[in-house]
Amino acid sequence: MTGTYVSALIAKAEAQTTDAGFGERIAENQRRVFQIAFSVLGNSADAEDVAQEAFLRAYRKLDSLREAEKFRAWVNRIVFRLALNRKRGHRRGMARDMAWQITEVPTVVDGAKEAEKQVMLNQLRREIECLPGKLRSVLQLSLVEEMDAGDVGAVLGIPAGTVRSRLHTARKVLLEVMR
Amino acid sequence: MTKACEKWKDQLLEAALTGARPKDLQVHLQSCRDCTTELRDLEALRARQDSMLPLLVKGSQPSTGFRARVLAAAEASGERKLGMRWRSWKLAGAMATAATVLTIGAIWYRATAQKISDDELAAAQKLAEWRAPSDSLLAIPGQEILRTTPKLGESYLKVPMSKIEEE
Repeated sequence: MTGTYVSALIAKAEAQTTDAGFGERIAENQRRVFQIAFSVLGNSADAEDVAQEAFLRAYRKLDSLREAEKFRAWVNRIVFRLALNRKRGHRRGMARDMAWQITEVPTVVDGAKEAEKQVMLNQLRREIECLPGKLRSVLQLSLVEEMDAGDVGAVLGIPAGTVRSRLHTARKVLLEVMR
Repeated sequence: MTKACEKWKDQLLEAALTGARPKDLQVHLQSCRDCTTELRDLEALRARQDSMLPLLVKGSQPSTGFRARVLAAAEASGERKLGMRWRSWKLAGAMATAATVLTIGAIWYRATAQKISDDELAAAQKLAEWRAPSDSLLAIPGQEILRTTPKLGESYLKVPMSKIEEE
């Protein structure tokens, strides 16, 4: 009863303070948007900053992004671009060259198997970072939940077929360098 | 893998990734133990990568309260947006007023200027056609008197020149 009342109050406050539906849009997209930023940046703090910036930009354009599908495609693109910009900034400042090493994957290892897994993950991150930009982007975006080849292509501005082909090449390179 | 098997490298990678084994590769694998082992290792590595790659991103999500923070920031930016909108409207209003005043002024000036010009034209016409009242006096007998009046050095009396010379 109290929970319902509080939810109603929050909903009312949201409707009054921000454009209607924006909160709903965040809820629908936040996980994927965060993961896109995370796939590029490799750490939660930066990924969250970038995700927030993407939503704020979407908010400013909310009038033209009323349709859920439009909103989803637009916010996917913008968060990816913002994440790339952030990463370039970091590279220029030489501040975060270890980004992929500082991740949310648990650092406390439990036994040899876990240690091996950790080693493998770190190696994968390093090798992905070494991939050519076109292959890396496709691979990173393909790792995001709920992103199919069409979604990845929409973000990168390439056809789904090209996404699949680049993904295959990226996997082939990864296999070759890690054997 | 021996040096002779290098040419099979790409096909082995393809086979490990897709599972497809072209006939020529199958024939080679039957006779080459190294390549068979290589393919088995590659397949195992691919399987490990398949299970590990999603872990790089999968499960990661924004911290609790992310949505509330974005909404708060959006609200703050919304106020700024409203402020900016209000300023834009004020500026637009001022510009519209200025444009209206200028247009009305221009129309009024043009209309007035046209009127003055007509008046001036009429006045100029009148001036051009104006004749002094004395002109009429000059045009009647007086004019003849003036014409026949001797000029300086002339005489009223017409004396024949031959007579003067004889004297």
